[in-house]
Amino acid sequence: MGRVLPFIEIDHVDQVFEQPGGESYIALKNIHLEIQKGEFVSLVGHSGCGKSTLLNIIAGFQRPTCGGVIMAGRQVTEPGPERMVVFQNYSLLPWKTVYENVALAVKAAMPHLSKAQRQQKVEATLEQVHLSGARDKYPSQLSGGMKQRVAIARALAVQPQVLLLDEPFGALDALTRGLLQEELMQVCQATGTTCIMVTHDVDEALLLSDRVVLLTKGPEANIGRILRLPFARPRNRHDVLNHPSYYDLRNEMISFLNQQKRRRHGTAVAATPYPRGGLTLGFMPLIDCAPLVVAKELGFFAKYGLEEVNLHRGESWQELATGVVSGRLEGAQMFAPMPLAMTLGLQGGPPQPLTTSIVLSRNGNAITLSRELWQQGVRTATDLRAYIEQTGERPRFGIVHPASMQNLLLRYWLAAAGIDPDQDVELVVLPPEQMVYYLEAGHISGFCVGQPWNSRAVRQGFGVIVTTSVDIWPGHPEKVLGVRPEWVEAQPKRHLALVKALIEACEYCDTIANRSEIAQLLCRPEYLDCEPEEIYKGFVMPLERGDGVETAFRPRFHQFYVDRSPCPGRLELLWIMTQLARWQLTPFPKNWSEIVEQVRRIDLFGFAARELKIPDSEPAGQSLALFDGLPFEPDDPLAYLEAVPIRRALDIREIEPSLTVLSPIYG
Amino acid sequence: MAKSDSIFLQLVSKRQSRWLKRLQDLPLRKVVAGSVGAFCFLAVWQLVCMVGLLKLPTPIRVISDTWELIINPFYRGSGNDVGLGWQILSSLRRVAIGFSLAAMIGVGLGMVIGSSRLLYEAVDPILQVLRPVPPLAWLPISLAAMRDNEPAAIFVIFITAIWPIIINTIVGVQQIPQDYKNVARMLRLSRKDYFFNVLVPATVPYVFTGLRIGIGLSWLAIVAAEMLIGGVGIGFFIWDAWNSSLISEIIVALIYVGLVGLVLDRSVAFVGRLLSPGDE
Repeated sequence: MGRVLPFIEIDHVDQVFEQPGGESYIALKNIHLEIQKGEFVSLVGHSGCGKSTLLNIIAGFQRPTCGGVIMAGRQVTEPGPERMVVFQNYSLLPWKTVYENVALAVKAAMPHLSKAQRQQKVEATLEQVHLSGARDKYPSQLSGGMKQRVAIARALAVQPQVLLLDEPFGALDALTRGLLQEELMQVCQATGTTCIMVTHDVDEALLLSDRVVLLTKGPEANIGRILRLPFARPRNRHDVLNHPSYYDLRNEMISFLNQQKRRRHGTAVAATPYPRGGLTLGFMPLIDCAPLVVAKELGFFAKYGLEEVNLHRGESWQELATGVVSGRLEGAQMFAPMPLAMTLGLQGGPPQPLTTSIVLSRNGNAITLSRELWQQGVRTATDLRAYIEQTGERPRFGIVHPASMQNLLLRYWLAAAGIDPDQDVELVVLPPEQMVYYLEAGHISGFCVGQPWNSRAVRQGFGVIVTTSVDIWPGHPEKVLGVRPEWVEAQPKRHLALVKALIEACEYCDTIANRSEIAQLLCRPEYLDCEPEEIYKGFVMPLERGDGVETAFRPRFHQFYVDRSPCPGRLELLWIMTQLARWQLTPFPKNWSEIVEQVRRIDLFGFAARELKIPDSEPAGQSLALFDGLPFEPDDPLAYLEAVPIRRALDIREIEPSLTVLSPIYG
Repeated sequence: MAKSDSIFLQLVSKRQSRWLKRLQDLPLRKVVAGSVGAFCFLAVWQLVCMVGLLKLPTPIRVISDTWELIINPFYRGSGNDVGLGWQILSSLRRVAIGFSLAAMIGVGLGMVIGSSRLLYEAVDPILQVLRPVPPLAWLPISLAAMRDNEPAAIFVIFITAIWPIIINTIVGVQQIPQDYKNVARMLRLSRKDYFFNVLVPATVPYVFTGLRIGIGLSWLAIVAAEMLIGGVGIGFFIWDAWNSSLISEIIVALIYVGLVGLVLDRSVAFVGRLLSPGDE
């Protein structure tokens, strides 16, 4: 699939301002945007969200702290006449007449033209914006609207490749504004100029743009949503206003902006006392609880001042989740979808907000089929479908929790082969360590579960691993540390220490040389209580699949740290959100971007990461795709969801955000 | 007939009221107010001297004493004995030379210093120390350096006028609004284009503020310097009159000095306005 190179690429831009007193203010965080030639893109957000800063970066007036802007294959390093800016305050030279202001630009930008040609160009442009009558006036003799016309004329006269408009009509009265908007639209349509406009006027953005980029409220502003407008070009105000989706889009923008307004920022917590007493974290006996065990046993918690951390071995995932919700546990290892599912209300349950700032592990699951199925030739999902069609059976599969990655991945894997996971097969929830017994007893025909239970089934000869989650979705988030947002707000320093300790523990776990030692730790009775050999498979040695085929060791079968693994990315959670809604496990929130932001505290992760001097933002990537190659674009998750062939009915509703979600400021 | 008369009267009265209104708006009002003020001043002066509070000639006395001097500004006698017009002109000549030098060098230096932060930081302490030195304090140095009265007087004018010119030009260059600089960066203006299209026009108002202060100071300094140096010039004329106890002549000379100072200041301001178009 050949990718069209974007005309302008804003490549993961961060902007940090050093403030007096040595503090730094992160205005923009990880902004990535691609703009095609001839597009009209509006940047919309609350004032102070950094949209003008972003425009200045594109214009070249400012160098971003991180990342860069590439236009037509070249990096933007300084301003230039190919990127003309129309400033909000016009910035006309007051000692020059209208004509001279435009002529200066033409002379500077097009030195190759003859004097007569330049003169003609200036006159033509003035004509275009209806300014010929005022050509010999000084800016001080003009009204605001006229001045902005001159500024637009100056910008257009040099035929820039991009027109950058910084709230161009913000200071004008409504009537003049409307008039100039239409003029700008006509001129841009006639010349095909690419435009990027900063505005806070929702209707202006709708009228003029092809795409509206909604920025979240700063600090750490990033792109919240991108709306693609369906209005045809050439357009006029009347057609746009009467377009059937105009008010839906307008409402969507307004509700996004309102959601952003709700984001408040916590008070400084420098003064809050560091609470005494221990911290209890829950875990389930699985290999991927390794970061928690390592952090405790090897002193990473202690290193960050968390002297007394108890690890509580959970009876079931449900017990851990209720433990965290009730406050009995400060945090717990959870499946990546769990905090989101709890926040949305799992399977009709009440919404119980949970959040996470760190991904503890990635990958590490496998789908195991019973040896009987294997012997009947079932090797892939397609074989399974053929088997079901032939025999008319409804095989049962074990999963460990409805809001588990295993459930979502197994369902995706089945559905991709045309098997409806609710009708053609039966999915039963079983505790992970019971899976092998059930498989042995023939109660289930397979399962999707984490390690070491797949290897145990293989070792005991009851099952064969047919695929692993690395093959279904390389680098999928598996376990996260789930906490209550209230706790994060009440004890931000402890939370920060916890995240830092766990990031370091993750790094330790991803060093293959340490893994034998970690395996010894894990198999202790208080943790997994098992034989080290079971842990070794896939962790330090090649995974035996039970099909007799020799495989190489894959270090990323368990991934803890590499590729910014601990970063709680928002894109992946959005995909998880679509899958939860697809199988009717949770409703789909109308205010999805707000919920994603609330559940994945990438800002708090970033804070910890910066203190550890490691990359603090989500890795690159505008879209993700699973093994079947179906691309997932984050701009319109509902469209993605509606397009999948096998799914349940969608329940779309507004989910009340938790009001405690907010950025504590670390003192 | 009567009817048309009344209409006529109405028209007249309307026109009259409009005329009166305009009179109130026009500078004529200022002229009248100014004249009344001046008259009151003269009356108080006359009164104070008649009563004997000040041992000065009354205004009427001044005019009668110096009538010859007033009506013959371009009288030529021998040596220093020339009319007031000549005295003023020769002072103006010194100011013209000293001030022109100060303006050219001051504006040039100011633009260079203002454009470079490093240079500004290097030069600023010197400027701050030399700026408050009173004009006359320069005179001995100047005499020592020049060894002649005429160049010394011109040097005093020069050194007095140059500081406000340099400092204001520097401020002007530093205060060029970022907006204009952004426009220049965006258009990638060449150095020459930037200088003539942005830097110079943007600094003109500041430069002329400096020039106005400079010309005022030069005129202050020349009178004092000439008193000490001698020769033809309004300063020495005053000193000479004092030595001859011709108080009335001093008073007339003072009025001339004041008027010329005013004209100089307004002329510089006028040129400044001419050179900043588009300024409302």
